[in-house]
Amino acid sequence: MKGRSAPCLFIVAAVLVPLLLDPRGYWIRVLTITLLFAAMAQAWNIVGGLANQISLGHAAFFGIGAYTSTVLLLKFGISPWLGMFAGGALGGLAAFVIAIPTMRLQGHYFALATLAFGEVMRVIANVWTSLTGGPGGLSVPFVPPSFLAYSFKLLRPHAYIALAALIVVTVIFQAIRRGAMGYRLRAIRQNADAAEVIGIDTTRVKLFAAVISGALMAMLGTLYAQVAVFFDPDTVFGIASISIRVALIAIIGGVGTAAGPILGAFFIIPLEEIMNGLLSSRAAGLSQLVFGVILIAVILWQPRGFITALNSLRARLSRKGAP
Amino acid sequence: MPGSNSQGKVFLDRRAVLLGTAACLAAPYVISSARAATPAVNVGVIMPLSGPNAQFGINSRNGVELVADEINSAGGIAELGGAKINLVVADATSTPTTAGTTAQRLIAQQDITAVLGAFASSLTLAISEVTERRDIPLLTMSFADQITGRGYRNIFQVVAKASVIGKAQFEYTAAIAQAAGAKIEKIAIMYEDTAYGTAQANGLRAGAKAANVEVVMDDAYPLGITDTTPLINKLRVSGAQAVFPVSYLSDSLLIIRTMRQQRVTIPAIGGAAGYVIPDFEKGLGEFAENVLSIDTSNYDLAPELTDRFRKRFGYFMVHEALEHAVCLEIVVQAIKKAKSAKAEEVAAALRGAKFTGGWVNGMTGGAVQFDQTGLNVLSVPLMVQWRGKDIVTVWPKEIAKSAPVWRS
Amino acid sequence: MSLLQAIIDGLLIGGVYAVISIGLTLVYGVMGIVNFAQAEFLTIGMFVAWFAWAFLGLDPVIAAPLSFAVAFAIGWVVQGQLIARVLNAPSVAQIFLTVGILIVIENGSLLLFGSQFRSVTTAYQTVSLSLGPLFISVPYLIAFSMSLVCGVALWWFMRASWFGRAMRATAQNPAAARLMGIDAGLMYRMAFALGVGLTAFGGAVILPYVTVFPGVGGQFVVLMFTVVVLGGLGSVAGAVVGGLAVGVIQSLSALFFPIQLQNLVLFIVFILVLAVRPQGLVGASR
Repeated sequence: MKGRSAPCLFIVAAVLVPLLLDPRGYWIRVLTITLLFAAMAQAWNIVGGLANQISLGHAAFFGIGAYTSTVLLLKFGISPWLGMFAGGALGGLAAFVIAIPTMRLQGHYFALATLAFGEVMRVIANVWTSLTGGPGGLSVPFVPPSFLAYSFKLLRPHAYIALAALIVVTVIFQAIRRGAMGYRLRAIRQNADAAEVIGIDTTRVKLFAAVISGALMAMLGTLYAQVAVFFDPDTVFGIASISIRVALIAIIGGVGTAAGPILGAFFIIPLEEIMNGLLSSRAAGLSQLVFGVILIAVILWQPRGFITALNSLRARLSRKGAP
Repeated sequence: MPGSNSQGKVFLDRRAVLLGTAACLAAPYVISSARAATPAVNVGVIMPLSGPNAQFGINSRNGVELVADEINSAGGIAELGGAKINLVVADATSTPTTAGTTAQRLIAQQDITAVLGAFASSLTLAISEVTERRDIPLLTMSFADQITGRGYRNIFQVVAKASVIGKAQFEYTAAIAQAAGAKIEKIAIMYEDTAYGTAQANGLRAGAKAANVEVVMDDAYPLGITDTTPLINKLRVSGAQAVFPVSYLSDSLLIIRTMRQQRVTIPAIGGAAGYVIPDFEKGLGEFAENVLSIDTSNYDLAPELTDRFRKRFGYFMVHEALEHAVCLEIVVQAIKKAKSAKAEEVAAALRGAKFTGGWVNGMTGGAVQFDQTGLNVLSVPLMVQWRGKDIVTVWPKEIAKSAPVWRS
Repeated sequence: MSLLQAIIDGLLIGGVYAVISIGLTLVYGVMGIVNFAQAEFLTIGMFVAWFAWAFLGLDPVIAAPLSFAVAFAIGWVVQGQLIARVLNAPSVAQIFLTVGILIVIENGSLLLFGSQFRSVTTAYQTVSLSLGPLFISVPYLIAFSMSLVCGVALWWFMRASWFGRAMRATAQNPAAARLMGIDAGLMYRMAFALGVGLTAFGGAVILPYVTVFPGVGGQFVVLMFTVVVLGGLGSVAGAVVGGLAVGVIQSLSALFFPIQLQNLVLFIVFILVLAVRPQGLVGASR
């Protein structure tokens, strides 16, 4: 199929590049964070793109994952791999709980409700000091490097784990989109009432998407905890640092498409890093400002994301090639 | 419909994407080739230059700049052939992850001898995760207990721990009250629910417990609170004889003003941060007079040094500026001792060592001595009091510049 | 007695919350867009008032109309150039356009004005009136009165003036309004500019007790959204009811719950309202 070559090339590049970068260095950290955010944006894409529910509170699941695996590690010595699945389960459960009251809400209302949930989780994490360490945050304890303990001396394994996560989440996204579930979600997106009439159980479908998205997001929280080693409620439950960012990445890249979050992440995060590197000491806030301007420009100019531009480019090129 | 497929727009789009990607890929080469071969000593300065702590970050940077400029204009570091200090300043922002990435970037882009930063404990903790693994010494005045509590070998904290500061905040108050003939039996604690506020409140509680004093009100409040009336209402009916607020600036102003409005006249003893910066007096005018606060250092202990700051920047040398100045001084002294600017060797020269002279005179005891956890064991908190537009050290008696005024 | 004091304090501050939030609900009511950048105009209003105080010696309450005017002008341009372009785009684009505007204004303020905290000193800042055992904070009372004036002025404008009626017509049915000769684009600009102007007005009015810095708007975002959702997105009367309600809830919750949880209480109210009665207390089902 025509679409195969790009993903294959990407995977080959993504596997080779970490080998070329300094394993203790800065760019491999940027790559790891980029891959991680691409995966997070892809998880968000499942509800934001396929179910068309703009969630501004996905940090709720992310933080649940990060805290679950780290607390289990600190209190019971459980390996973060197992903690990750525990976090995933809790994240899925949280998504279920959140989805029920918000299911029927439209567009802006849904966004506001999810925003509130994210903040509720942040406040709880801040207040429940005995469990979460409160505002002081948690440090992932240093254990001797081993795969089973999810502890590595260098950043390179983290980059590969992030890559694997991105691939897994993307495969799940594609499976949903192309499968019967995707067909149902599209139907609901077009016209929820008509979908009900033809027998689609909209509640069950939306819940399904929400739970998968939440569970995946939570598992990525564990990956983050292991890379960043230290975090606090503001970092993992943050509106600006997580919730808005992942949605933004998916949107700029192209919401609802598999390549969108990946494109978005590879554009936004390295760009932000470069700008911070060039500008941050000279004028605080300038890099963020430029970033905001770019966001506005992209929304006005290509609201369906970069992927639309690339698709139409490909269409134009293939038209040119036709006899 | 915006962005519809007119030819020109699509082309521009593709070019922008390609150029952007090319820039991303080329950047590391561009940046690393800028790694010049000048014999300068690179010291990383990572402070919050944006976000709610920006003011403190800027103050800190100013303190470091003052010392760096003094050393450079005096001919640089003689032991290294007159090498100048090159400050590599970066914004830690308000997110710990970004602070960590910033540290990583600094370390990757040039040979860093040491890092100074980052005022807020959460930022410092994140940076320390990076510097510890790269064997680069990090010097800080952040005081969360965790900073020196992880067994790290490359972290050096020049002030006392939060729990000690909190305890002193209470104990000094009790002593001052006693010296004025008043006895404190009931106190109120109110603090922001940040790492700083919570840590210091723990210390306050411990101090009160040890003295068998009842804490009749113990409330955390959300950072960014916009209305403190409920807090003060509660304070008024609690029967406390003294209140210990731990806050940054906007809440400190709110608290004092609301206390005034509600005619709550019990003494307020602040927990540093917002209570010891010029803006506190600017915001309150006459109502700042005689407000007490705990502090980790004060400019009146070494006016011959700190007046230079006031002359250059126009405001008194706030404690974070002074403490970071001391950090840079110590780094330079360690470089001289090790006769090298290599991070590992400087770190070795810092570990467990004692420093005196120069800007170190600004710290309590006129010296800094690090123990194996990296904590400066000679740093003693002090109590300051507002007199006009200045804050004056009033306790402990041995270092006080003036007797405390206790209005109860 | 503490109950009565808490209720009074809640009502006073609720009035201010109302005037800050009316703008948000007005914009949604007329254009169907939730302006996530609304709180940034609060920041703008506060900065304008602060500069008026620092350089012209004007009391912030007197400078409030100036804040209104500046924000009105900025809002007019923002709506015309930016928001108008996404009125028919998917909600995703609308939401994130206003998020982009939020980022630009907040960081623009940081660059222009620097990070330091600025506050004003006024004669009445630390004064309160005594009503028996009760205290009535004068700055809050003044803010409340100004909000009342503002609210009444807006009500009159929407009811009695041509512009107000034209805006309501456009909100109800843009196509019919156009047929009646109303320029919908103009109405949208008017509504948006008015909405952000009102929020900026509110900002000036609270300057005597709030310290301004580039991120100050963020401290009020939760409150603003809870107010409009509680009252009903789109309903101006709802914003008033919602504002007073939020003020009282916040104040009362401090009597029964730890103050640290005050935002949590608000969020839970917020979520409950969205789940059970999304149109709010006063709003009609859309």
